[in-house]
Amino acid sequence: MITFENVHKAYGSHEVLKGIDAEIGKGKVVCLIGPSGSGKSTLLRCVNGLETYQQGRIAINGEQVDATSSTIHAIRTRVSMVFQRFNLFPHRTALENVMEGPIHVLREDRQVARQRAEDLLTRVGLAEKIDAYPASLSGGQQQRVAIARALAMRPEAILFDEPTSALDPEMVGEVLQVMRSLAEEHMTMLVVTHEIQFAREVADNVLFLDGGRIVEQGPAAEVLRNPQHERTQDFLRRVTHPV
Amino acid sequence: MNKFLSQSAEYLPFLLSGVWLTIAVTVLSLTLATGLGLFWALCRTSGIRALATPVRLLVEFIRGIPILVILFYIYFVMPEVGLDLTAFQAGVIGLALTYSCYIGETFRAGIEAVDRGQVEAAKSIGMRQGLMMRRVVLPQAFRIVVPPYTNNIVMLLKDSSQVSVISVAELTMQGKMLASSTFNNLTVFTLVALLYLCLTLPLNFVMRRVEVAMGKAR
Repeated sequence: MITFENVHKAYGSHEVLKGIDAEIGKGKVVCLIGPSGSGKSTLLRCVNGLETYQQGRIAINGEQVDATSSTIHAIRTRVSMVFQRFNLFPHRTALENVMEGPIHVLREDRQVARQRAEDLLTRVGLAEKIDAYPASLSGGQQQRVAIARALAMRPEAILFDEPTSALDPEMVGEVLQVMRSLAEEHMTMLVVTHEIQFAREVADNVLFLDGGRIVEQGPAAEVLRNPQHERTQDFLRRVTHPV
Repeated sequence: MNKFLSQSAEYLPFLLSGVWLTIAVTVLSLTLATGLGLFWALCRTSGIRALATPVRLLVEFIRGIPILVILFYIYFVMPEVGLDLTAFQAGVIGLALTYSCYIGETFRAGIEAVDRGQVEAAKSIGMRQGLMMRRVVLPQAFRIVVPPYTNNIVMLLKDSSQVSVISVAELTMQGKMLASSTFNNLTVFTLVALLYLCLTLPLNFVMRRVEVAMGKAR
């Protein structure tokens, strides 16, 4: 459903992605792991055109992603995103945050959108908080609203950019729990994460990036339990047994 | 003191006619300047160089000219090229043009102060530039600019006294005329100052309330 063919990106002379080839199947959960600066987030942000790439091709169900083309808006409604820093709209309530896209972008009926937003917030465990403004919610609650906002677009896939990295440790679980339930329903998910345990349990495939290249990829169980490449072994040792 | 009060009673009606004109000049030029300023700010933050660069040059150009010179230019030079304006019209246009630049810069700063993540979140749900501005960026930018915008309004109200130089009979002009005919400078200019304060102080109060009301929603 999401294909990468020889994707290259550079900031000036600094190459960030040096030829990425990968395929994310429909209904699959794929985790992108790797050290900071390896290009994981950049790659993810290329998928919905928040970043441009200079060479190669990224396609969603065969349709090429081109951030400079007017087709990008339609693509973004089909592939939504959850950010590290939540990025909820601070001047709108949780419910309004979730309804914003359906009403103003998808032009859904207001009543229908409202009902669905309530259902989605209930689903992520925030039925009590629909009228709360983001500032009065904890980080974990904000991120769950952000997931509901992404789901409200009825996306074909969701991109997660380090969704738990900005959270206090005790709130990581509630967010991962919601993501786990999405995986069970076969939502296509591309997740940049440092949560190796989550990747091990939930991901179908893992891509290990280092220095702008995919060093190793394969089924999560194999890559994480029995990494072949030295750099993957080294990285996993460091993140699972921090000094 | 008694003398001051009895003179005040005598002068006030005359000065009040100036107050109404001061208010009219201020409200009209503020409305124009705000609309135009918003347009300048949107051009400058559009990312389209063909819009941003000319507007930047225009703003720098106008900001670099004293408001009096601009007023003289519009009132005395424009008729030579066939554009006859009344003093009132010239005054409003001059103030609006000058203040659209200050207000435009205030709005631009506000727009640029909105967190980058907000823009990304808006884009990520498929919003186009216009919708994103209207629903996400501007509501947050307005909240940020209330204090500096209030400052712009107060400055504009006070600078409306400048249009007296092209013979608009607003408060300062009426004061000057009254003072020169009665030689009662102390009473007249004290009254003029007090009348300006009667306009600016409530304005500050109202805008502080606006600020609080807008701040509540976050």
